[in-house]
Amino acid sequence: MAKYTAPIQSKASQFIDVIVILVLTIVTLYLPSWLKLAGSSVVHKTVDNPTWDSLGQNATMVAKWNQLGYADAASAADTITARFDYSFTAINLIAMIVVIVGYYVIILRYSETEYRDVIAEKFDGKEK
Amino acid sequence: MADFDITSKERDGMGPHGTNVGLLRVLGPAHVWALGVGIVLVGEYMGWNFGVAKGGAYAALIACWFAGILYTCVAMIDSEVTSTVAAAGGQYTQAKHIIGPLMAFNVGLYLVFAYTMLEAGNAWTVGYLVQTVAGMAGHSGLSDKPFIVLSILFLAWLNYRGVLATLTFNLVITAVAFISIVILFAMTVGNHGEFSLQHADLMSGQAALPYGWLGVLAAMHFGLWYYLGIEGTTQAAEEVRSPARALPFGTLAGIMTLIIAATLTWWVCVGLMPWEYLGISGVPLFDAARMSGSQFLVVLLGIGTLFATLASANGCINDASRAWFAMGRDRYLPGWFGAVHPTYRTPYRSIIFLVPIACLFATQLPLDQLVTFSILSGLLEYTFMPLNMILFRRKWPLDTIKRGYEHPFHPLPALVLLALCAVTFFAVFLGYGTQLVAMIVFYIVVSLWFHFWRYRFVNRGAQFTMPWPRPKGY
Amino acid sequence: MDVWNYAEYGAWALSAVFAVLIILDWIKTDQTYSEEVLTSSREGELEAMTEEQHRGT
Repeated sequence: MAKYTAPIQSKASQFIDVIVILVLTIVTLYLPSWLKLAGSSVVHKTVDNPTWDSLGQNATMVAKWNQLGYADAASAADTITARFDYSFTAINLIAMIVVIVGYYVIILRYSETEYRDVIAEKFDGKEK
Repeated sequence: MADFDITSKERDGMGPHGTNVGLLRVLGPAHVWALGVGIVLVGEYMGWNFGVAKGGAYAALIACWFAGILYTCVAMIDSEVTSTVAAAGGQYTQAKHIIGPLMAFNVGLYLVFAYTMLEAGNAWTVGYLVQTVAGMAGHSGLSDKPFIVLSILFLAWLNYRGVLATLTFNLVITAVAFISIVILFAMTVGNHGEFSLQHADLMSGQAALPYGWLGVLAAMHFGLWYYLGIEGTTQAAEEVRSPARALPFGTLAGIMTLIIAATLTWWVCVGLMPWEYLGISGVPLFDAARMSGSQFLVVLLGIGTLFATLASANGCINDASRAWFAMGRDRYLPGWFGAVHPTYRTPYRSIIFLVPIACLFATQLPLDQLVTFSILSGLLEYTFMPLNMILFRRKWPLDTIKRGYEHPFHPLPALVLLALCAVTFFAVFLGYGTQLVAMIVFYIVVSLWFHFWRYRFVNRGAQFTMPWPRPKGY
Repeated sequence: MDVWNYAEYGAWALSAVFAVLIILDWIKTDQTYSEEVLTSSREGELEAMTEEQHRGT
């Protein structure tokens, strides 16, 4: 195939590309966290008038909490009752699988077409 | 292998420096080991314990060992490809030659983000450590931001000036950090009254497996953190005396070291702290030292934490900027980034560019999210590796290119790795689903941007710089 | 104001110093050398050059 000669990119165009990458990074990675949409899905079970006992802590655990600086059960209650919410629906799970598999399919397909060009230009049209 | 002319202008892979390469191979297996462990060891000082929050103490240990299997597969696969693609740029160069440009673009970004987010996490830990020490000294309300920014800028400056001068220093501080863990273990086992390790009591009842077996699966998410970055050893491929021997040996020895360090860390930490606290701790080993009742250990582990984070961040800046630079040089990114500093010989523009990104994320996001971004980028990379391996063996069967190292039992390691990656994706999905989606959406959007816009600036045949024969089936 | 407050200001000041050092050298380098020289690196060469630098040649 004919040798492809890439155009020289102007300074301004390069600058725009850098801005695009930066904006994409911030919009997709930083904004969701900043808007509190992302992050760990932790729920707290509220316990009224918590005692070490009602929080399920034995004597050794209580001793360690005290050493850590939590003097009474109320101060440690929030930490102890925090639990991840692992519930999910089948739709969520399927959506995730589709997104991940779809992502790899897109990449592999586009890579394949690009790769054929590379190999053709590299190995054809040259004596060896 | 076809014979080729080393001075050929077509083969810009070696260029006029090609004849020099023989002299440059100065590193042995010990260096490879130290390079890998240097970036990764910080994982024992922070981050791994979030796995305890996701599934309890036992779950974190099981995840640690399964992640060890995952990384053993990574090391085997990577060693074979790297001993053949002996070029800097690591997995990015591999992807470019074996799968194709778009995959390479993605792999390059995986490397940049895995390392930049790890660097941000390291800087965050420095800030948190200073804050904790100030708190112990009776000063409350100290801002961690100046210390985060300072550590990033200092290390960026060090890297800007040439990283090789600091590499030896890096090895020494890594060794100190490793020995600190061993000393902590040695000084906490046995009977120390109220400061003794109390596994039985701390892991009884609800504390054994608070989420049941689902928690074990979920903990796999942070299980990766014990080893993340060990694959960076391949970046040394061009400087190693005998890649065929040193790379597999150094990398596998590094993984064994980390399995030992991780298990010791786990043992001491879960014996000293209730799992609910350990799961949210910012600096678990330092906290363990505070709980040991020994002032000496507090100082030692404080220094160990600081050293481990700085050594790791230093390596991360180096690797991330190299990957960014390599993409700029191939015009995958604006060519402006492909510049090398004439005096210091560093990719200085890439180093500068990544500084504000690291600062932004380190000062604005909590540690568990930084770690998750890093792990996700790593995970996408490990999913790419088995695909890469299978295609490598198919396009260039064993008799077409001589490998420095051939990994045994192909395709078993590739399939095991793929299965473990699937499990880990599910583990991240449990509890951090939105971040997973955000990250993949990011990669899909930049991939489309690359394919439909950016790729026009890339020269086609010139990217293929290896002296290999034509791949089978093309 | 105790020692920790001073440490905060000190850290900001040091950060600024490193930032200025990097940026000054960056500007100086970009003005001294042409773009062709700066971006003349090709795949596989960078490691060779860093090593030369390391050996002091």
